[in-house]
Amino acid sequence: MNLDLIKFIPWLPALAAVLCGLCCTKKALRCLAAPICILSIASGFVIAFLHRGGVPPGGAVVPFFEWINIGGFSANFSYFIDPLTLIMLFVVCGIGTLVAWYAAFYMKGDKGYARFFTFVSLFIFAMTNLVMADNLVLLYLGWEGVGLCSYLLIGYYYNKPSAVAAAKKAFIVNRIGDLGFALGIFLVYQTFGTVSLREAIIAAEHVSEPSTAVTLIPFLLMLGAFGKSAQLPLYVWLPDAMEGPTPVSALIHAATMVTAGVYMIARLLPIFVLSPYALPVVAVVGGLTAVFAATIALCQYDIKRIYAYSTISQLGYMFLGVGALSTVGGVFHLFTHAFFKALLFLTAGSVMHALAGQLDLRKMSGLRTKMPVTCWLMFVGCLALAGFPLTAGFFSKDMILAAVMEKGLGEHGQPLFLALGILGLFTAFLTAFYTFRLWFRVFMGPEQYEMGEEHHGAEEHGHDHGHGEDAKPQAASDIKVEHHHDAHEMPLLMNLPLIVLAAGAIAAGYWAEHSGWIESMVESSTAAVHGGESAHAAELFGYHLHTAMMVISSAISILGIALAAYFHWLNRPAADAAARQYKSIVTLLNNKYYVDEINDAAIVTPLRTKGEIFFAIDRLIIDALVTLVGLVPRALGIGARRLQTGALQGYGLGMACGAAVLLLLVLFVAN
Amino acid sequence: MTDPLHSLTLAHYLFTGAVLFVLGVIGFISRRNLIIMFLCTEMMFQGVAVTLVAFSRYHQNDTGQTFVIFLLTIAAAEAALALGLVVLLFRRRRTLDAQAWGEMKG
Amino acid sequence: MTYALYIASVVGAAALLLMMPRPGYNPRFLGGLLGAATLGGLWLYLSREMPYETGLARSAMACYYIFSAIAIGSAVRVITHTRPVYSALWFVMVVLASSGLFLTLNAEFMAFAMVIIYGGAILVTYVFVIMLAAQAGDADAADSPEYDRVAREPLMAVAVGFLLLAALLSVAFNPNAIVPNPAARGLTDEQIISGDGAILPNRLDAALAGKLAGSANGISTEELAPTRQLHNVERVGLDLFRNHPLGLELAGVILLVSLVGAVVIARKRVDEPGDPPASTTGNA
Repeated sequence: MNLDLIKFIPWLPALAAVLCGLCCTKKALRCLAAPICILSIASGFVIAFLHRGGVPPGGAVVPFFEWINIGGFSANFSYFIDPLTLIMLFVVCGIGTLVAWYAAFYMKGDKGYARFFTFVSLFIFAMTNLVMADNLVLLYLGWEGVGLCSYLLIGYYYNKPSAVAAAKKAFIVNRIGDLGFALGIFLVYQTFGTVSLREAIIAAEHVSEPSTAVTLIPFLLMLGAFGKSAQLPLYVWLPDAMEGPTPVSALIHAATMVTAGVYMIARLLPIFVLSPYALPVVAVVGGLTAVFAATIALCQYDIKRIYAYSTISQLGYMFLGVGALSTVGGVFHLFTHAFFKALLFLTAGSVMHALAGQLDLRKMSGLRTKMPVTCWLMFVGCLALAGFPLTAGFFSKDMILAAVMEKGLGEHGQPLFLALGILGLFTAFLTAFYTFRLWFRVFMGPEQYEMGEEHHGAEEHGHDHGHGEDAKPQAASDIKVEHHHDAHEMPLLMNLPLIVLAAGAIAAGYWAEHSGWIESMVESSTAAVHGGESAHAAELFGYHLHTAMMVISSAISILGIALAAYFHWLNRPAADAAARQYKSIVTLLNNKYYVDEINDAAIVTPLRTKGEIFFAIDRLIIDALVTLVGLVPRALGIGARRLQTGALQGYGLGMACGAAVLLLLVLFVAN
Repeated sequence: MTDPLHSLTLAHYLFTGAVLFVLGVIGFISRRNLIIMFLCTEMMFQGVAVTLVAFSRYHQNDTGQTFVIFLLTIAAAEAALALGLVVLLFRRRRTLDAQAWGEMKG
Repeated sequence: MTYALYIASVVGAAALLLMMPRPGYNPRFLGGLLGAATLGGLWLYLSREMPYETGLARSAMACYYIFSAIAIGSAVRVITHTRPVYSALWFVMVVLASSGLFLTLNAEFMAFAMVIIYGGAILVTYVFVIMLAAQAGDADAADSPEYDRVAREPLMAVAVGFLLLAALLSVAFNPNAIVPNPAARGLTDEQIISGDGAILPNRLDAALAGKLAGSANGISTEELAPTRQLHNVERVGLDLFRNHPLGLELAGVILLVSLVGAVVIARKRVDEPGDPPASTTGNA
């Protein structure tokens, strides 16, 4: 099939970004921005869909235009299309279309409406470039592009100090990872003499004796992946990134951008296997991040933050899967996670919308009668996230856990992977618990809630929402009276994309696994694992491993849901009693293990102090020197100005004098 | 081709050229009439032309004379522009005194 | 010898200073005499060492003194005369005298070009401008305006000028200062034909001479003739078009630009103090 159309996938959103940018200029044009943006992303999805079966095995390179071509170095705008790219394109464009659709209603009335869609289009441009890049430099361009759009969209409410701080934090933390990624790219070029993905992968597959440099590459690239995908220890930016508009959280900080790290490792798997330690490190970091973020999510009260930590945790699963050489599992989880996490964020956005910016779990309860559709949509999302049997999350999570356990229990069983598998199961339990804690708290129980402090479509977002702990109930009720509006269901058009996502969250897993689609797709891409040992399927408790894991994880998720139902729906005082009993742990978790505070004390404050010292030195010494240097010619000028008499002949006299003196000097010095 | 100049003879021509040049310089510095000042620059050109032709003969090289042609070109161009400006300035102030334009000092 | 030059410079400076226009009594005649005496004395002193062979014919050497004296004397009058028209006319004299000097140097083309272009074209322009710039009521006035009658800082100008002159002369008359270029030694046609090839490449007619040198026996008079009798005009022309084509083109461009520039400058209308107000509306 002709692949010519493929190259338009990134450039239609780029065009849309320009058009939306033009829409920013006129108030009357603002409403055009959303249709332009949605149309461009949707057409990208359609193009990708048309090519679903037409990608040749091993991928194809679609050249677009020449970008950098110096000597032996070439990095061009050409796109590498293989099944893995297609999966990513389905996720990016598909989820992108649905989220943009939702945002078209969600953002209505905001004065940055067109700006929002400009950034979203730009993001899709960068993200599609990232996943379609044929070389590492173009990939890096997309990588930085999505980072930039993430920064712009987190800081969308730029007159809100917390949003600006969060945007800066995201950008700076990502820089640390990107430094590693950039160094990795340099090292790839130095080692393999090319930045082309295909050539580098082929070269990597033919390396017989890995040198130190070659084994260093995966670790540097890994650093970039950890930064972008918010893994330990670079995860700190993602929870704060929730300051951005909720559709952004759904699209960028849950479904697409943060999975770029997983994509990159899956794409460059042949390079990662060059070092025997690289993938185990990825797996360990992923496993630890999963359980670490899940524990924090247990004790948070901000709905969006709970989902943010859940995202970190689920990304940990993906890394665990890729690290256990199950790229199919990792990519599969990426695929399903995109559906249910986007769904969860968007429904959380609906709740927030309905309650005028209220995000505090403790200030809402029993909303199911007010917002029935949202309630059940979120229920579906929660089931998928909790890994309830036969939902999408169940299949993908199970595939990862099975692959990890297989490495732990198989013929050459590694105890490390066994431990990681058990950790993963524990995390699955925590996930089920905290997910349904949220859902039961919000929608079940007695109907009782407080409105937030934001108007619908408020023009001003000058305050910090989401930290409802400080808001006094008295003040909140006053505001409620003042607002004259109550919790309500979203319009059907706004819920439409959510229904599509919900369908995906339920059925995508079953369909993708049982039709063999995801496996055939990943296995025919560069992420394919060669020489797999799937023939020697391990056994657990006398059953086939996969069957056993399915039963165990189903049991665990149902147990987690049941516990959550008991504590947070049926017997809420028991939850409070338990919280009081383990007060220290709850406080620790509520404060996110004090990681931000530790970072602040260990890294930020010393650097800031150093910076202030340098600033003082710069001001007092260097600036003073510069000023002094500037003063000298000025002082000279005051004196020399007198010589400029303005009389033509005076200048002639000076010239003649100078010529005579020079001539005499030459004469007497030369002889 | 004729014989080359003796170096003392060359020095005589250089003497004439230098005197013409220096008289031009003195005139440029001390005269206040803009037209005379430009005439003095032409006189400096004359001095240079004499020197160039003398050296041309001394070195038996015609490039010296070729340069005089260029010099004539520049002198003609300069005279056209400078005199145009002088006329303009005269129309503004009704004087040819260079001192009248001395307020452009620093 | 250099001391003689320095003394002559100082005395000449004093002479010129006497002749500079100034208010009150002008000892112009005294200055002129002193100057002429200085010039004559210096020449006598210098010709003391003059060898018999100077590179010039004896008559040409005599012509040198005559034209040089005219040139210097006229130049002094150019800068000392209080009336611009007379200055311009004296400058024509300078041009004519230096053309005479060119003739003694066998530079006939330069001599006539100088007379035609300088004396004929440029000086006519000057005279026109002086005419244009003459004040309306000034024509009958006995004396020229104050800025023509009084020199500006004559002492300073003369001192600096003669300092420069002394420096220049000490270079010109310093046997060590002028190092003759061996490659520029004059060659006779016989030398060229005999094939002293090593010194040919720098020369203007190197190609032709090389051809001649290669076939010394078969030289036809037609081929030899142009080499033998290359006139000054021909040589300058060859040099100009062979060695300086770019300079020639640039000179043409400069002339064109200055032509356009002069037209633009002269077209500009200025509010003249005596003009009727109607003409101010036509400002370009």
